[in-house]
Amino acid sequence: MSPKPDSALVIIGHGSTVNPDSSAPTFDHTEALRARGVFGEVHCAFWKEEPSCRQVWHMVDRDDIYVVPNFISEGYFTKTVIPRELELDGTVTRRGGRVIKYCEPVGNDARMTELLLRRAAEIAPGVDPAQTSLFIVGHGTNLNDNSAAAAKREVARIRESGLYGEVLNAYMEEEPLIAKWDQVATQPNVVVVPFFISDGLHSYEDIPVLLGIVGGSAGAASASAQEVFQRNPYRLRGRTLFYASAIGTEPLFADVILGQVAAFDAVHAA
Amino acid sequence: MSRDLTKALSDWLVRGGERIGQIALAPVREGWELRHSDDAGRTDLALHLRPEAARDLANFDAQGNFRPLKTAPTLVRGWRLVLPEATAVRRALDYFYPAMTGVWLSHQGGELVPVILRETLARQSGMYRVTQKLTDADARQLIDGFCAGCLKHRLWEIATHNPQPPAFAQDTLPLLCHEACNLLIAKAREVAKQADRPA
Repeated sequence: MSPKPDSALVIIGHGSTVNPDSSAPTFDHTEALRARGVFGEVHCAFWKEEPSCRQVWHMVDRDDIYVVPNFISEGYFTKTVIPRELELDGTVTRRGGRVIKYCEPVGNDARMTELLLRRAAEIAPGVDPAQTSLFIVGHGTNLNDNSAAAAKREVARIRESGLYGEVLNAYMEEEPLIAKWDQVATQPNVVVVPFFISDGLHSYEDIPVLLGIVGGSAGAASASAQEVFQRNPYRLRGRTLFYASAIGTEPLFADVILGQVAAFDAVHAA
Repeated sequence: MSRDLTKALSDWLVRGGERIGQIALAPVREGWELRHSDDAGRTDLALHLRPEAARDLANFDAQGNFRPLKTAPTLVRGWRLVLPEATAVRRALDYFYPAMTGVWLSHQGGELVPVILRETLARQSGMYRVTQKLTDADARQLIDGFCAGCLKHRLWEIATHNPQPPAFAQDTLPLLCHEACNLLIAKAREVAKQADRPA
């Protein structure tokens, strides 16, 4: 992307009042993009953490501002909460000499497929994809969210590539349940990639418990946290299982954020 | 560029600015030094040289608990952060006290518009819509309790702007709250839900 020294980039994340894991990837991508120097300034803001969406405009010096939601899908947050909290009028907001350009969420980027494939290959080095069942795990049940639709879209794209023996959707709280992975998967190897923006209780605890790679109830894995990704492969239920951290922790997400800015410019250049 | 926060911060530092929240700032040979104000005179502090170090320092209290409210008076001690120039200081302060330098500049320029609590609650949706049922009495109790654990100066009230203007010394960069934070809104939800429950 050509440099935009006169523009600011603001990345919006969900954040958490309970732990720093939810906002960590957004902070990481912000720091990475700041170091690249493409934009005159780069900031991030959150719904549940500080700086908040209500504070972030005071942090920005420049008048030309791109806003990229670091969310997996279009939905309640990207359509309702973020525009309201940032006082956006639509895709382009002109206010007080500023032009604010509201980009699509990162999950819509076409490179998401490439990142999922990359993460899946990294976590299971030397394993033949043709003999592997790849699960893309979403949350499910969130009625206001299209994350299930986004996950299905990615599964369809990866399936088209023909790389993996099979590619499957699964969810934590709705069918097909990730807890039944061994009943669904037909291949000897199983790779599981959480289609989430950040690691947190879901990826550290809930999904590992549902997979059966940590014992007991949810909460059992809290002491291990990152360790759950480092003990691959897991040999259970007659398969070899590899478990990846959330896709949003992938450093290449910074490029996806830039991609959403480029996509905005491509559509609105005229 | 409509404003230059780095320059404003640099000017404040050069004029003798030395305090923000629990942090003391001082000019040193290498640039600027930040440390916990209670660590004045200590020589055994862990040295950090990158503004990003502030992120970890700000994230947890001395007991290792996550600090979702960065202006809680629980900043850890035992560190010093030496930074070469105001750009790095600005970045570090945005980890220690997110947005506070920018809010200060807006306030100085007369551009900071306080939002009363009723207005903040009125626009809540989804799981937070119930906060619109919060009574004035419950709101008062909540503010007096929760906000007492925050170093920000509140510029809003339940139904009016706070008539008390912030009074800060020139050498202190104020922490200003122009609108109820999401932590307070989350607490308001708990209270409103409790009160809404049929007897």
